[in-house]
Amino acid sequence: MQVIMVDQRKCTGCHQCELWCGSEIASESKEIPFSFFDDPQPVPRVFVEGKPFALQCRHCPDAPCVEACPNGSMTRDENGLVYVNETTCIACWMCVMACPFGVINPSSSLKVAIKCDRCRNMGYPICVEICPTNALQLVEREMPKTLSSKG
Amino acid sequence: MRYVIIGGSAAAIRAVEAIRSVDRRSPIDLFSDEPTPLFSRVLLPYYVAEELPKKLLNFRPLTFFEDQEVTSHLGVRITAIDPESRTVTADNGQNFDYDRLLIATGGSPIIPPIPGVEKKGIFPLKTMQDAENIYGSKGKRAVVIGAGSIGVESCISLKRKGMDVTLVEQLGRVLPTVFDDRASAIIRKRMEDLGIKVNTGERAVQFQGNGAVSSMSTEQRDINCDLVVLSIGVNPNVELARAAGLEIGELGGIAVNDRMRTSAAGIFAAGDVVETKDIALDKKSINAIWPCAVEQGYAAGLNMTGKKVLYPGSLRMNSIGNFIGQPAISIGMVSAPTETGGAEAGEAYQEVTRSSKDTYRKLILKGSRIVGATLVGDTQKAGILGVLIKKQIEVGEFVPLLMSHKLNFMEILPLIRRHSDKFSEPEYKELMDTGL
Ligand SMILES: Cc1cc2nc3c(=O)[nH]c(=O)nc-3n(C[C@H](O)[C@H](O)[C@H](O)COP(=O)(O)OP(=O)(O)OC[C@H]3O[C@@H](n4cnc5c(N)ncnc54)[C@H](O)[C@@H]3O)c2cc1C
Ligand code: SF4
Repeated sequence: MQVIMVDQRKCTGCHQCELWCGSEIASESKEIPFSFFDDPQPVPRVFVEGKPFALQCRHCPDAPCVEACPNGSMTRDENGLVYVNETTCIACWMCVMACPFGVINPSSSLKVAIKCDRCRNMGYPICVEICPTNALQLVEREMPKTLSSKG
Repeated sequence: MRYVIIGGSAAAIRAVEAIRSVDRRSPIDLFSDEPTPLFSRVLLPYYVAEELPKKLLNFRPLTFFEDQEVTSHLGVRITAIDPESRTVTADNGQNFDYDRLLIATGGSPIIPPIPGVEKKGIFPLKTMQDAENIYGSKGKRAVVIGAGSIGVESCISLKRKGMDVTLVEQLGRVLPTVFDDRASAIIRKRMEDLGIKVNTGERAVQFQGNGAVSSMSTEQRDINCDLVVLSIGVNPNVELARAAGLEIGELGGIAVNDRMRTSAAGIFAAGDVVETKDIALDKKSINAIWPCAVEQGYAAGLNMTGKKVLYPGSLRMNSIGNFIGQPAISIGMVSAPTETGGAEAGEAYQEVTRSSKDTYRKLILKGSRIVGATLVGDTQKAGILGVLIKKQIEVGEFVPLLMSHKLNFMEILPLIRRHSDKFSEPEYKELMDTGL
């Protein structure tokens, strides 16, 4: 499967990916200037961290959040993308506790776990699309021979 | 190969998926004495609170058994295992042969021997039937006995239903095995703000009532009530295993090796019924939580097919979610052992804490490794601490960063790289290779 990789030399920390992720995915308004007035506020699923580096869900082949979710709301689609079924999520934050990357956002306003689903319903990840320096790219994941994807 | 699985909950269902990921053809027979299949117990308090309708309690689709080609025997209890002839006997008299057997029988709620405990209106909360009993109760005043996770969630459920709720706990704080005094006090405050009466350090001694319960006495007082929820704890269901001569561990759970196999050939066990080595405590423990049951079920299932998968040990973790309205997470050890608490000589434990008005964060270090983490308020990065505990990483000079609100994965990448031998999974490797 493919994963989003960031070329750290190119990532300037401009936070465009966070902004677009929040408005494209979570905002009712879908346009950045208007999304500022949304209530609850849109929440991004990508986080510009560290020495700037855009990090989002890694869609682990063996995902601890999926194992921890007590009702199957955190699940994996046929393409290997891990996503939250927001209608059944009970906001118990067990997935938050299990995520080794700390990229699941326990949204107390929306009362659901918010994470990157690689824009699975749009077909292309908006963060990769808009990154002004091309620092974000979709690349094929290298899988070690011994590890088969399960789940 | 013929597979038989006893139990139909977290561990059992995950074991089915593990077996089917390797072996699509062999017959699997699954037995559950609970007639309702595929619901998640964790959701029962939400059902009682009328937050979730019954049809949303499932953790797998109702077509699961069909999809996975499993013959399910629902409402059927296994009464005996014969490890010699490799058969199990069901309560309908039928025998079933197995090559590989999984015992995933979970635990049963402890019913304390308090006089009057048999009165009407007194229930544990474990099965769907229990939830129905509590849900259907016409009571107005409820008492919950035991302030563990299930007790605390029961209080919230009943309060949401509009009842007057009193919690009674004999130890000195709520969630005594999950949080230290400080974190526990924050949760208690939240409960009291919701209007729940919390009595700690108080023991229930008697139930009164003519047929149905009408009041409960503690050593301090009488509390009028028409509904009582018992949440004192669970005991592993080991009777079948014991009668079959399987080894039972020092804590009363089924003993398993690091491949989830019991002392008998061909018989595996997983979930709330087993005791495993706890990675943080470095001793045997019965970690009766959902994520452990799922992981153990998966490991057991793969090993049943003949694959060799090591189960590295369990880690207790609890999350107080949005239900209570105060996010809080605790992983591993709750408090550093005190001198009298039996710390082994030579082991230096240290607690590092930090708090503000509404947040609290604590790490327990043993030497340079984290063995416990508590976060109240700001919890998004809790899993980073969890993985460092699980993989037993020497965190050294990273402690200040781990304690800070600036903690994020990219900041600890140098630490991950230093221990790259323990982070061999592709999701870590690809980040390490980014040349940061
Ligand atoms: C109200 C409640 C809330 C909870 N909340 C949380 C939470 O928030 N987070 C968390 O991590 N954990 C929580 N838990 C714990 C979690 O539900 C358990 O850890 C998990 O269900 C264990 O799964 P299991 O498969 O080991 O066993 P169980 O779920 O106990 O299932 C065992 C099954 O086997 C059946 N069985 C037993 N003996 C036989 C037999 N002889 N023949 C046939 N069938 C048999 C039982 O009837 C039962 O259906 C909660 C539990 C309860 C009750
Ligand atoms: S917060 Fe939602 S997605 Fe996460 S574990 Fe709980 S129910 Fe599953």
